[in-house]
Formats: sequence, structure tokens, C-alpha cells
Amino acid sequence: MDNLSLGVRPKMAQRQHMDIVRPYVWTALGIALITATGKLITPFFSPINVAFLYLLPVLLGAVYWGRGVSLFGSFLGVLTFDFFFVPPVFSFTVSDIRDLFTFGVFLLVGIVTGSMATKLRNELEKAKEREKRLEALYSVSRQIGAKADLSEMLKTFSKTLSEAIGGRIALLMPAMHNTALREVACYPGSMLFSDKEKAVMDWVLEHGRRAGRGTETLRRASPPIFPVKADNETLAVLVVDIDSDEPGLPPDRQQAVEAFANLAGVAIVRVRLAEEAEQSRWLAESEKVHRALLLSVSHDLRTPLASITGGVTGLLSEEDVYDRKATRELLDSIRQGASRLNRLVRNLLDMARLESGTLRLNREWCDVQDLVGVALRQTEEILQGHKVDVAIPLDLPPVKADFGLLLHVMINLLENAGTHGEENGEISISASLGNGAVFVSVADHNPAIPRDERAHVFDKFYRLQHSGSESGTGLGLSICRAIMEAHGGMIWIDSLSGQGNTFTFALPMEEKPSEWEVEEGENHAA
Amino acid sequence: MPPEETRILVVDDERQIRCMLKTVLSGNGYDIREAASGHDTLKQTQLLHPDLIILDLGLPDLDGIEVIRRLREWTKVPIIVLTVREHESDKIEALDAGADDYVTKPFHMGELLARIRVALRYAAKSEDEPLFTLGKLKVDLARHQVAIGESEVDLTPTEYEILKFLALHAGRLVTHQDLLRAIRGPQRKDVHYLRVYIAQLRHKIEEDPNRPRYIVTEPGVGYRFGAMD
Repeated sequence: MDNLSLGVRPKMAQRQHMDIVRPYVWTALGIALITATGKLITPFFSPINVAFLYLLPVLLGAVYWGRGVSLFGSFLGVLTFDFFFVPPVFSFTVSDIRDLFTFGVFLLVGIVTGSMATKLRNELEKAKEREKRLEALYSVSRQIGAKADLSEMLKTFSKTLSEAIGGRIALLMPAMHNTALREVACYPGSMLFSDKEKAVMDWVLEHGRRAGRGTETLRRASPPIFPVKADNETLAVLVVDIDSDEPGLPPDRQQAVEAFANLAGVAIVRVRLAEEAEQSRWLAESEKVHRALLLSVSHDLRTPLASITGGVTGLLSEEDVYDRKATRELLDSIRQGASRLNRLVRNLLDMARLESGTLRLNREWCDVQDLVGVALRQTEEILQGHKVDVAIPLDLPPVKADFGLLLHVMINLLENAGTHGEENGEISISASLGNGAVFVSVADHNPAIPRDERAHVFDKFYRLQHSGSESGTGLGLSICRAIMEAHGGMIWIDSLSGQGNTFTFALPMEEKPSEWEVEEGENHAA
Repeated sequence: MPPEETRILVVDDERQIRCMLKTVLSGNGYDIREAASGHDTLKQTQLLHPDLIILDLGLPDLDGIEVIRRLREWTKVPIIVLTVREHESDKIEALDAGADDYVTKPFHMGELLARIRVALRYAAKSEDEPLFTLGKLKVDLARHQVAIGESEVDLTPTEYEILKFLALHAGRLVTHQDLLRAIRGPQRKDVHYLRVYIAQLRHKIEEDPNRPRYIVTEPGVGYRFGAMD
């Protein structure tokens, strides 16, 4: 019986007392039953047969409750047998000396079987405990593969270990190399550590060896503290706080804790490696983007600058060579170069704003017709010569969006349509309502974008392979997508060869404010 | 050509911009003075009494908004902000502080000249003209009549109030709040309410409501009646 916990908690004492008495009562009852049965069958059997029956409670007591109960059963059995069956019956005196021998054998059998059964039972219990811990270990080891978040994983670790060995577990780790230990997981609840205990943890982290209670080192200063190691590096420390009077952990629990610590080490290393891989992948990716940015920006900045510088220096150096018309043309190319530079700067600023993560949408109710009107006004220059068709239904509801950002989407789409095809092309703008969203499309009659390139047109710095365009930055559409995503909307392209490309963006419909319905009944009388 | 004595103070810490503006504006007949800092602006305004100030917001000593506030303590001189700051909140802040108009760099010279003319004309105007004409649109304030060409347009009272307010400030930047104050009193703050009326108004007076010419939206700030004059 587990007597270690006896009297630990006063409230439990009574119940435990009952628990201890109950097996003896059952054994006594069993013996009483056997005595009654024996009395019934003595006319047909010899008393020695009845004696064997008394072995039953001894065996059962040993298997279920241990040595104490089986010994009790043995003695009580012998006494009862003597009293009720051995002549002279109903007295403890023994007339035949051979009966004393029977008692001796009976007692011996009782004691031996009792202790063997008890041993067996203990083995069984230990095996069960081991199995429980193994199972816990196994479940933890499976989580190493399944969970990506280290702190979540370590929390589950601590919980599983705590349940497996019955105690409080805390895991502490330095946030970075050579920094102070920080609690990453604790179960159940949380723990407060004294300076002494913290000193022991630091020692464990530094030396990679166990310390605290039950070890050679600093045994009075703290509960047992285990190092969590991997590749000869101590990554964390594991504090095991078990309510126990023993000096250290029982060997089997200690093994379990060590196995857990090893697994935790593997898990930490695994997550670190994954993080490093992600980091280097990100670095490589951002370097690629950087190179593309430099390439794109240097090209896109220099080209319009070249047309400006060329035009201006031409006009400055030889004032009299150019007639009025040529001068006008030079000035025109300067103006175009400047406005192209301006577009590039706008897109770069947009990109920076969208990627800084500080973008706050200033959502308001936007009238799509108003939006289109402003966009057309601002793209007048670049769309010069294009025929632009607008079809917006009168009853199109407003959309809740950042007008300024939406305007940039519209302007980018119009500029794309205007610059990627022949001059004097046709562009149609349309809007519609359906599926709980407002759709706005800009369609051009430019050469259709090849199927395999369509998926990439919204990527940053992506330029069409055989683009005749002179002024794409590879930024406009990626900005459009980022803006749409920020709004919870979508943007996509449909291309039909021979018919052109249609860019459509969709914004989820939201409930209109009641004020939107404001109407006045009577007209103003003149 | 404006009268010779029309004096404009150009404030910008970039010499290049000041030079360019001086060349163009002098060429257009204005008398140009320059200032490169906020304090210089305040001093010169007191000394020279310019008819108009073109003000950059990013000045080395004082923020342009602060300059506007200090000027507005004692003078009504028209101020046109000319700046790289393009965010709506910057525009609204400058207009609230008392600026008359807002032009972002880079700008079209034609546009700046138009804004200068509007601001000067508005400052000089003594009384409301009873009849306002822009293209085919006629707004007769005395008789409360609006017409496109020869045909009269029926407007609701609110639509008429909006159009009247815009016409009275023709060419000038009118903020949402200005308009709302004018039509409903200062307690109304719903800008989308205004948008409904503007949309309705456009359908009644604009030739192509998809490409409005009379009432032009200034994104995030307000409207301008007849962008160019």
C-alpha cells in the first residue's frame, strides 16, 4: 500500500483510513463465509479439505491488497479453522499434534503466496506506470513533428510530463544566446523562483548537469533541475517539483524526466533549424526582390530622365536649330518623361506605404462613378487619343473603401490599358453588382497576355516577356493587388486573344448607411 | 495680364523652385518677392503686404501649417499651399488652418496660374454676382434658377443650396465640411450624405456624369466648381 502519502492532507486522512481498513473487513467477511460453507459441507468432506478453502482469501488479499492483508488472512484463517473445525471444536486447544503441523504449513503457504502475489502486483503497477510514461513520451515525440510553434509545443510537453510523473514542471530557456533564463512553459499554473533556485538553474545551464534535490550539487537549494541538451549544448532547464519526502526522484521517474528532456532538446533544435531555414529563404527572397527593385528602378528612373535631359540640353545648346514644331515636340517629350517619373514615384511611395505595415485604411462610402470620374481626370494626359467608354449602372450601391487607395487602383489599371497597347486604342470601364460584391472592370483591346504569364502579372516587378510597352514599372498591378487585399477584395485578369485584357476588381458589399437613402420629395420651385 | 502691382510672395526653401516660379510668374506679369523660411515669410508679409502667398509646407524653421495659423491671426491675404505633401489629412489640416487652396508638387503651371487668378479674384470680390455662368450652365442666384443652355433644370432645395455654394466659390477648393455647414448647419458631419446629392446633381447638370466638368471631386478633401477657368 502506498503509505507515503498518509496524513499529508488532513481532509483526506479519514477517507484513507477507511481505505486501509476496508480490505481487512472484506478478508474477515470472506473467512466468515468460508467458515459457514465449511460447516455445511463437513459431513461430506474431511476438515483438511476445508483448510484449503481458507487459502482463497489469503491469495485474493495478496493479489488485490498486498502482503499485510494476506498475512492477516493467514492468521485469521488458521485461528478460525482451529476454532471451528479442529477437535475439540469451538475451542482453540489442539488435541492432535499433527494439526499443529498443518497450521504451520498453512501459514507458510499463506505467507509465501502472499508475498509472491504482492511482488507480482507491484511489478504490474510499475509496468503500468512505465507504459503510461512511454505513452506520454510517444505522444510528445509525435508532436515534435506536428507542431511548428516552439512555445506551444513546449507547453504541451510540460503538461504531458506533469501528468505522467505527477508533479509541477517548468521549462526555462534563454531568449537568445547568453541572455537570462525566461519561463517558456509551466504546468500546472506557474512557478515563482527564489534567487537561490535561479542560481541553480544558471549552474545547470552552464554545466549541462543535473542539480538540486537528489543530486550531488546544490541539493538543498532547489527542487531537481535537469538540463535540456542537444548536440552537447544546453538549451534549456527543466524544473521538476514533486511533492515528496524522498531526497530525489524515484529512479523510474527520473528516467522519464531525462527522456522528456532529451525530446525537448530535439524539439527545440528542430524548430530552430526550421526558423533558420525560413530566415535564409526569406533573405534570399528579399535579395532577389532587392535586385529586381534596383534593376527596375534604375531603368524606370533613367529612361524618363534621359528623355528630359536630352530634350532640355538639346534646346539649351542649339537654340536656333529647332523650328517651332520641333521645339514643341522636344518640350512634349520632356513633359511625358516628367509625368512618367511622377507615376513611378507615386507607385514606389504606394509600395513603401503598403509594405511598411502601418497602412491604415480610411474607409468611407465611395461612389464608383465619382471614383471613375476622378481617375479619368487624372489620367487624361496618358489616355489622350484613346476612346474611353464608361458604363456604370445608375443604381450601383456605394462601396466602403479608402477612396484614395481605390483611386490608385483605378489609375494604375487605366494607365496600364493606355500604355500597353497601340495608341488610339479603345478602353471600356464597367461596373456591376452581383454575389454580394461590386465589380469594376477595365477592358482594353491590347494584345492578350499569354496564359502562362497571366498568373504573374500581379507579382512585384514582373514584366511581360514580349511587352511592347515602354513605361511599365512592374509595380502597378502588384500595388493594385495589395490594395485590394487590404480591403478584403480581389483583383484578377481575363484575357481573350483577339479581344484584349480585362482587369476586374471586386469589393465586398456592405450594408448601406440609412442616410444614403436620403431623398427629398419636392423639387425646388423656381 | 494682371495689374502690375499684384504682388506675390513665393515661399520655398528650395532655390530652384523659387527661381522657376519667379521666372514664370514674372513672365505672367506678377511682381514676385521671395522668402525661404517661415520667420522670413511672417516678416515680409508685414513689410510688403503681398496680394497673395504661395507657401511650401516643409520649411526649415517653422512648419507651413504654423505659418498659416500665425498669418491668419491678422491678415486675410490669399494663401495657396504648394507642397509635396499629398495626403488628404495634410490638405485638410492646411485648409482648416486657413489656406485658400492646395496644389501638390509636381504641378502643372497652367493649373497653378488658374488657382492664383481664382484666389485673387475671390479676394477682390466685393459682392456676390447675381448671375453665374460656366460653359452652358447658368445659375441665377437672384431668381433661384438653374439652366443648361436654354432648358431649365429642376433641383431639390438641397441640390440648389449645394450648387449655389459651389458657384459662389467658383474655382476654389470647397471642403466637405464647408459644404455641409452651408447646407445643414455645422452639426451634420456625414460626408456620404453629401456624396449622394453631388451624384444626383451631376446627373442633372453634367453632360457626362462619368466625366464631370462642373463639379470636380478633390479626393478626400471636397469639391471644386469648374476646375479651370
